[in-house]
Amino acid sequence: MEASQLLQNLLNGLAIGSVYAIFALGYTLVFSILGIINFAHGAVFTLGAYFTYTLVVGQFENNGLLKGVNLFPQGSPLSGNPWAFALATLIGATVAGLVAVLVERLAFRPMRARGADPLLALVSSLGVALVIVNLIQLLVGAEIYNFPSDAYGEVRPALSFQIGERVVIVRTVQIIIFAVSLAMLAVLGYVIGRTKVGKALRAVAESPGTASLLGISVDRFILITFFLSGFLGGLAGTLVGTAFGVAGPYFGVTYGLKGLAVIVLGGLGSIPGAVVGGLVIGLAEAFVPADYSAYKDAVAFALLFVILLVRPQGLLGRVQIQKV
Amino acid sequence: MGDFLAQYGFLIVTMVQAGLLGLSLYFPLQAGQLSLASPGFYAVGGYVAAILLTNPAFAGLRESLGGALFPLTWLAAALICGLLGLVVGIPALRLRGIYLALATIAFVEILRVVSLNLEITGGAIGIFGIPQAFGFQDRWQYIWLFGPLLILTLLFARQLERSRVGRAFRAIREDELAADAMGVPPTRYKVLAFVIGAVLAGIVGAMSAPFLNTWNAKQGTFDASIAILAFVLIGGSRNIWGPVVGGALLTAVPEVLRFLADWRLVINGLVLVVASLYLPQGIVGALQGVRRPPPPRRPPSVPVVVEAPGGGS
Repeated sequence: MEASQLLQNLLNGLAIGSVYAIFALGYTLVFSILGIINFAHGAVFTLGAYFTYTLVVGQFENNGLLKGVNLFPQGSPLSGNPWAFALATLIGATVAGLVAVLVERLAFRPMRARGADPLLALVSSLGVALVIVNLIQLLVGAEIYNFPSDAYGEVRPALSFQIGERVVIVRTVQIIIFAVSLAMLAVLGYVIGRTKVGKALRAVAESPGTASLLGISVDRFILITFFLSGFLGGLAGTLVGTAFGVAGPYFGVTYGLKGLAVIVLGGLGSIPGAVVGGLVIGLAEAFVPADYSAYKDAVAFALLFVILLVRPQGLLGRVQIQKV
Repeated sequence: MGDFLAQYGFLIVTMVQAGLLGLSLYFPLQAGQLSLASPGFYAVGGYVAAILLTNPAFAGLRESLGGALFPLTWLAAALICGLLGLVVGIPALRLRGIYLALATIAFVEILRVVSLNLEITGGAIGIFGIPQAFGFQDRWQYIWLFGPLLILTLLFARQLERSRVGRAFRAIREDELAADAMGVPPTRYKVLAFVIGAVLAGIVGAMSAPFLNTWNAKQGTFDASIAILAFVLIGGSRNIWGPVVGGALLTAVPEVLRFLADWRLVINGLVLVVASLYLPQGIVGALQGVRRPPPPRRPPSVPVVVEAPGGGS
C-alpha cells in the first residue's frame, strides 16, 4: 500500500473509530454499573440524531405523522452557523440522555426492585428499543434525512494535501468528529477519574451494596450513569448523522451491534477498553480492501468472535473471579 | 372450515413454526447456555433446502428423487447445521453467560453478511420460486409438516428431561462447577445441547424455505434472535411448553392487533416490557406458580480463593 493510501485509511479509520468509541462508552458505563447490556442504546443513538435534525431543520417532509409540521416558521434559529449547530447537537444529546434515564426508570429499575433475572432486563430493554424505533417510524417515516449543507454555515472546507502522486482528503466533518470525540473522552476521563461524582460512580460499579452502606445513593448514580450513557449515544448519533445522513429509524441497529463488538473487544465494563476497541474496529474497517468492501460489516463481528475465543476478557478487561 | 384455513392457516403454521424456533433456543438454555444462534442455523437450513430445490446443479437429483427430495432436504439441513453447531459450539461454549450470547450474535451477523454476498445464496435478492413441498396447494397444508415436527420435538424434549442427559443439563445449569466436580463433563453436555438446538433450527429452516417460497438474508438477523429469545422468556424458560406458548402468542399478537395498524409494533414492544416485568417466570411459569411456589433464591455467591493451605488472603 502506498503511503498516501495508508494515511488516508488511517485518517478515515480514526474518525469513524472515535465515534464507535464514544458510542460504545455509553454501553460500557451501564454495563460496569449494572452488569447488564442496555439493548435500547442503539435506539437512543438514533434519537439523538433525530433530535438534532429537528432542531436544525425544524420540519420533516414526505410522510409520518409529523409531515409538514413546521416548528420554526421563520427558519430554525439553530441553523446557519457552527455555534448554533453545536448548541443544537448539545440539546439533542441532552434529550437523548433524558430518554436513557426514562429507559432506566421503565425497563431496568422495576427489574432491580424485584431482583429479577438479568435476562429479563435485557428483553425489557429490547422492548423499549422496539417502542422507540417504531415511534420514530410512525412520526417521521422511514426515509433518509440529510443535514442541509448550510446547516452549520461557512465552515472551512476540508483539508487536503498531496503525497507523491495522490491527494489525501480529510473531510471537515471527520475533523469535527475526531475533535468532539477526543474532547468528550477527555471530559469523561476527568469526571470519572478526578471528581467526587466519578469516585462515587466507581464505588457503585465496584460494589453497590458497600457503596450504599457508605451513604452513596445508588439509584441516583445509576440515573447519572444512564444520563451520561444516553448523552454519549445521542452525540454519536448526531455525529454519524452529520457525516452520512440520518438513515431512517433503524439507523442505530447496526451501530448497536457494532458497539457490542467494540466493548467486548476492549473488555466489558472497561472505559479505556471501549476507546481502544472503537479505534481498532474503525481502523480494521477502514483497511478492508475495496474489492471486499461488501464484507466490511462482518469485520467487527469476526474480530469479536476471534477475541472471545482467544482472550474472552477482551484486550483491556479484567479476568473475572470464578464464583461458586 | 375452508374459509377459516384460508384466512388463518398461514398464521397458525407460523405460530407453530415460532414455537419450534423457541424450542431450538430452549435446549441450550436447559444446559444453562444463553445462545442466540438459532436464526443463524434456521437461515442455513433454509438455504440448504432452497439450493437443493432450485439450483440447476441439483436438477438430476430432483428428477430422480421426486417427492422424496423434501425429506432429503431436512436430513441435509440437519446434518449441515449439526456439523456447523459442533464447529462453532466447541470453541464458543468455553464462554459463559453474556459472552456466549454476544459470540452467537456475532455468528449470526457474520452468516448474514456472507449470505448477502455469496453467489450460491442469491446475494441480496436471495433465492426465490422455491417449489412447494409435496405439491401442497395451500399454505395451511404445511401444518402437516410443522405439526408432527412439533409433537416429535416435544416428546423428545420430555424424554430428554427424564433421561440421564437431561439431568446432566440441569446440573450444569444450576451449578457448572459443582456438576463438573460430580463427574458430569460440562463441555460435552453443553455442546450436545447446543447441537440439538442447531439441528432443530436447521430442520425448521428447511421446512420454512418452501413454506415462504423465497429465502434471503433477512431470515437470519439479530432481530430474529431477539424475537426468539422473547418467545422463550415470555413463554417460560423452565418448561417445554413455555417456548411453544410464547412463540405462538408473540406471533399472534401483531396479527390480533392488526386493527391498530401502524401502532402494533409499538404495542409489541410494550408487551415485551410489561410481560418481562409482571411475568418473570414466563406465562407457563406463572400458571404453574399457582400450584407450586417458586424455588427459594440461592444465597449470594462468594468468590472462592484458591490458595495453598496456610496461605492467608
